[in-house]
Amino acid sequence: MDITSKLIYALIGLLIVVNWGMLMSVTFRKIGARMAGRHGIPFRQPWVNLLKNISTRTIITHGYMYYLGPVFRLSGGIGIFLFMPMVFTGNADGLWTNFSFQGDLILILYFQVFGMLGMAMGSGEGGHPYSAMGVARGLAQHAAVELPLTIAILAIAVQFDTFSIYKIVEAQQGGFQNWVLFTNPFASAAIILAMLGALGHSPFNLVKAPNEILIGPATEYEGTYLGFMMSAGAIIHVMEAVLFMNLIFGGATSWIELIIKSFLIYFWSVFVGMVFPRFKIEQSVIWFFKWPLGFAIIGLLMASF
Amino acid sequence: MVNPIYIVAIALGVSFAIGVLNKLGRNFTGSLVLAAVSVMTFISYQWFAAFQFGEQTAKMIYTAGFMPPLSINLLMGHYEAFITLMINVIGLIGGIYMFNSLKKRGYNAQVIYLVLLMGLNVMVMTRDLFNLFVFLEISSIAIAGLILLEKGTRSMGAGFKYILATSIISGFLLLGIIFAYYFTGSLNLDDVVAANLSSIKGGALAAFMIMIAIILEIKPFPANGWGLDVYEGSDVGLSAVISGASATASFFVLYKVMDIAGVEWNYYISIIGAITFVGSNLLGIAQKNTRRMLGYSSIGQLGLLMMILGFRDILGEQTPYIAFGILISHYFAKAGLFWLSGIVKSKSLKGWSNIRKKPFFLFLMGTFIFALIGFPPFPSFFAKWTLVMELVQTGNMTWVIAILFGSMMEAVYLFRWFGYAIKGENEHLEDFKIKIHKITPVWIAAIGLYVIGYFTAQFTEVGAAINFIPLAFVGLLLAIDFLPVMIKNTIAITGMALHFYFVYPELEGDTLRLIFEGIFMVGGILALIAGYAYKGKRSGFYPVAILMYAGLTAIIEAGTTLEFFYGWELMTAGSYFLIIRGKRSMSHGLSYMLFSIGGAYALLAAFGMAHVGQDSFAMDILNTITYIPTWAYGLLIVGFLTKTAAVGLHIWLPGAHGEAESDVSPMVSAILLKAGVFGIVLTLIGMGAENNQYSELAYALGWLGAITALVGNLMAIFQEDAKRLLAYSSIGQLGYIVLGLAMMTHLGWLGGFSYVINHFLYKAVLFMTIGAVVMRVGTHNMYEMGGLIKRMPLAFLAVMIGIIALSGVPPLSGFAGKWLFYNAILDKGWYFQGAVMFFSGGLAFLYLWRLIHTVFLGQLKDNHRNVKEISIWFLIPIYTLIAGLMVFAAKPQWVLQPMGDMIAQFFPTGQLVWDGGTAISQYGYWAGSLVGVTIGASFVFVLFWLLVSTRKAHKVKQFDITYSGERPERPETTHVAYNVFEGFYQAMWIATIPMVETFWNRVTEVLHETAEFTRKIYSGNGQAYMLHIVFFILVTYLVIIGG
Repeated sequence: MDITSKLIYALIGLLIVVNWGMLMSVTFRKIGARMAGRHGIPFRQPWVNLLKNISTRTIITHGYMYYLGPVFRLSGGIGIFLFMPMVFTGNADGLWTNFSFQGDLILILYFQVFGMLGMAMGSGEGGHPYSAMGVARGLAQHAAVELPLTIAILAIAVQFDTFSIYKIVEAQQGGFQNWVLFTNPFASAAIILAMLGALGHSPFNLVKAPNEILIGPATEYEGTYLGFMMSAGAIIHVMEAVLFMNLIFGGATSWIELIIKSFLIYFWSVFVGMVFPRFKIEQSVIWFFKWPLGFAIIGLLMASF
Repeated sequence: MVNPIYIVAIALGVSFAIGVLNKLGRNFTGSLVLAAVSVMTFISYQWFAAFQFGEQTAKMIYTAGFMPPLSINLLMGHYEAFITLMINVIGLIGGIYMFNSLKKRGYNAQVIYLVLLMGLNVMVMTRDLFNLFVFLEISSIAIAGLILLEKGTRSMGAGFKYILATSIISGFLLLGIIFAYYFTGSLNLDDVVAANLSSIKGGALAAFMIMIAIILEIKPFPANGWGLDVYEGSDVGLSAVISGASATASFFVLYKVMDIAGVEWNYYISIIGAITFVGSNLLGIAQKNTRRMLGYSSIGQLGLLMMILGFRDILGEQTPYIAFGILISHYFAKAGLFWLSGIVKSKSLKGWSNIRKKPFFLFLMGTFIFALIGFPPFPSFFAKWTLVMELVQTGNMTWVIAILFGSMMEAVYLFRWFGYAIKGENEHLEDFKIKIHKITPVWIAAIGLYVIGYFTAQFTEVGAAINFIPLAFVGLLLAIDFLPVMIKNTIAITGMALHFYFVYPELEGDTLRLIFEGIFMVGGILALIAGYAYKGKRSGFYPVAILMYAGLTAIIEAGTTLEFFYGWELMTAGSYFLIIRGKRSMSHGLSYMLFSIGGAYALLAAFGMAHVGQDSFAMDILNTITYIPTWAYGLLIVGFLTKTAAVGLHIWLPGAHGEAESDVSPMVSAILLKAGVFGIVLTLIGMGAENNQYSELAYALGWLGAITALVGNLMAIFQEDAKRLLAYSSIGQLGYIVLGLAMMTHLGWLGGFSYVINHFLYKAVLFMTIGAVVMRVGTHNMYEMGGLIKRMPLAFLAVMIGIIALSGVPPLSGFAGKWLFYNAILDKGWYFQGAVMFFSGGLAFLYLWRLIHTVFLGQLKDNHRNVKEISIWFLIPIYTLIAGLMVFAAKPQWVLQPMGDMIAQFFPTGQLVWDGGTAISQYGYWAGSLVGVTIGASFVFVLFWLLVSTRKAHKVKQFDITYSGERPERPETTHVAYNVFEGFYQAMWIATIPMVETFWNRVTEVLHETAEFTRKIYSGNGQAYMLHIVFFILVTYLVIIGG
């Protein structure tokens, strides 16, 4: 496929992902509200928020790093999307594979941090103590999540002898019994648990920790910046779900399948979040070193023998 | 040629003449003594020169016109000429040093001094046993007399004990001589030897008595309390003469009489020597008094020399070379140190910190200490090298261990002392005056060491190959140390650039060496450029910095293991001085030095093993080690790991790097640590690279690397000191490199090497930037900084690029390492080592964010409102390095492809396939340049969009923040910096317990306690000392002759 059509398909895909991300977020807000016996926000709310944010005229800036924070965040989100093969069509260079020919799973794992790190630095220049607190918590939790997640991902790579996401998805085709979920249940269990930390809902939402440190890193951002960050957040949420979908749930062969699977993956973290209250940092860190780590190690041992 | 009998005649003649001429004043008599010693020196020199440079053969001198055994005969051979020359030279310059103190004690003291020297000369030359006894007595009484002529009860006690001890010893000697005469009918040494005493019934006892007496003269441990009291209690000038001349003569006497006892004594002499060497040096650790400590060191060195004599059958024709090297180093160095201690006057070790008021004193003291420990370019370095090579060659590893252990102990107390001198508290110490006649001998001794060291090297083929030009350049920088920084820095940079220019053609084609030489030289030049930011003279900096680089480049250029070791030791010495220059660096300098010396000894032993069964010393003998190869490679690895600071051997690093000066930290971190990596690379190649037979060693190394990565990164998270944070980070990064190399696969090495280059680039950027910031704000503590982005935008940008590269986030160059490592781990199957490493990589985000946030982001401190951007002289090298990082990031294939070709020499299988700019491994792919374009394009796109939509953004101050309806109180209280990872610490504290430090502290304690406990045998009681001698004789008798 030539580069222009790749670009066009990528832009279409991006549009779908942003909107799907926003729709997912409002859906879960509504689910949460209904569980609490409230009506909840209208479905159009995220788009309204975005419009409102982008058209604010009273915008401020704290300096160039502050300014670059949202840029890092959004381009980081877009980057992950670009490097991710979205829909499996049986052709590594086919439709919706985006620019995944430029790098494999490792690129995505490390590129995820690009946006986080950029935003952490940007919010740092904002000078708000809550930003720093949120970032410090986020990094600590991220490190703890990384351990089981990395081991589980290694187990999958060992299982299929590849780091290519496309090949991992390809190997899971031909029925759900071929999904890693069933071929390596322990590694999958580790990922499913670690996913909770990666998606950042309660009990692992201490980065934003509403009612405690406002909204954490983004505290000092508003207006267009916030709009950018919300768009980035929408993309990143979908992309994380897609990553896990590709890794253990057999990927998706169509957009519909992608939407259903990502919804369910995301729903898992929301569901847990509805039930469990927020952890403290040390509790969260230690939690990831228990069951998720144990499962991941068993998973890796299973794959390597 | 003047007959050597004139040495005696002149000494006696002048002594008698002084009895008559003393009315002419003590200045006159003193000068007369010196004149006499000059003539004696000349006579010895004349003979020595004739032997050394001419065709002279040994000459026997008969007295009174009779032949032995009727008369006494003297022998003037090559050794005798040399040893008497040594005695007379020290007698002469020592006499100059003691001129006033002898004068104060009267002309009798002057006469006794001359008689002492005469006695020592005859002891060396005589071939008659009774004559030997007489002159031994004469020298002993002379020493005792000189001690007793001093004022003070301490010297009185010391002199008395000395007389007591020597009289017991001479009693035994006399008995032995009588028995020997009884059995052989001759007093002539050669006749007695020819009669083969030990084969005669009862003759063994005679031999025993003679031997034990001579051995006791050398003051063996532990029967040497009397000797130590003399070193401590007497005039320092006399101590220098005892240590330099008297000990030398006793040593030579032992050499002479050993033939009487026969070869079976060799072993026992080695044992006594070893016990003395190890025991004295161990006890030296417990000493707080300078002179007593030097006494222990002297006795220890004599123990080492005794060992060498005992090994003479093993060492063969190398014996004189080795003994000479050790002896001459000890001779000059110890005399020099004693003389220095007479000038400085302070008796306690800590009191020596006032010597740095006179910087050249540090140079002198350093020269002597490094010579004693056996650093290049001193004779002891070459001698120790040869000794170890020969001993290992002949399968005597146990002795090597004893020698290296004893040397290590000696290094402990000598370098601790040196540390006090360089860095101790010296505010309340009184100054001292330097008199010309006292300092001149010290300079002569120091220069003598360098000159003789150079010639010692030339003696052997392998030593002659060493390139001394870089060292000469160090000497030049030392000579122009009075010039301002601007000039010296320019000269240093020019020198390095020229060196690189000349070396480059030799290394072309050898990518492996070129990579490291590039890091050392280009990195060195860049780090030196930052030196322009300093004002004034920066006294002493340039010689030591260049010394380190001279060592580093010598390692790369080394064609033989000796050259390698030479470079290694130069580098260690240079970096030690660089490190100890930092504030509060005393203890870090010491621990760095001790770990380095320990590591160097491991290397030395391993080089010895590599030489077994080989004729050459060429570097490639490391590829074919046959003698206990697993141990040899293990020792090499341990030796090199001390420099890469692998966990367990890392405790010196954080302090050393953290406290170093701003431009020194990058030198010792980004550059110096790579020397250890280079060593490990050589070792692993030696182990056979792809055909490696030592997989268990590599496996252990791999885990060690992984755990080092974890420990380094975890500890970095909890540092409040920015430079210590970076130092711990270096430990972690080096852990990655070690793990990568230990994998012994193509991809593992490629990963390791990409880290070598990347770590050099980004750690130099980070250390230099943070160092420059520290120079502006005056603190290392991150919580005392904050918000500096507003004052130092360029520094911030540098750190930002540095941390993104270090963290491994694409598109910067650090990702290359991460990607390669994942592939290598999958390839090798070391999943769990990999998991530990990747987890460590995740931890890096924590400390990197902490570094950039708490220093540059958040709120600015009030006292930093007016600080300026970091110096332009730091910005130049920093941005040059960043340019390098960017090139690596934009075109990774430019770096990785040639590196892959180089590694393919050793690991041909499992190479990356390059499809244009895309690297393809068996498992994955990565198009570095394209990824950069994609990320760059989306970044620019988003940025452009933001710029358009926020063009009317209102700029607000740092402190204008929304704060839930409150107003933030003060910037200081609003900046989140101190203990930021408290929550993480609560989860992880158990992993941060400094177990390694506790372990080494415990080792130190045990050593000190052992030394302290053993020291109690030296009660200071004369009777106890006599008892020691008797016990020593008894035990030796039981062991040698048997019950």
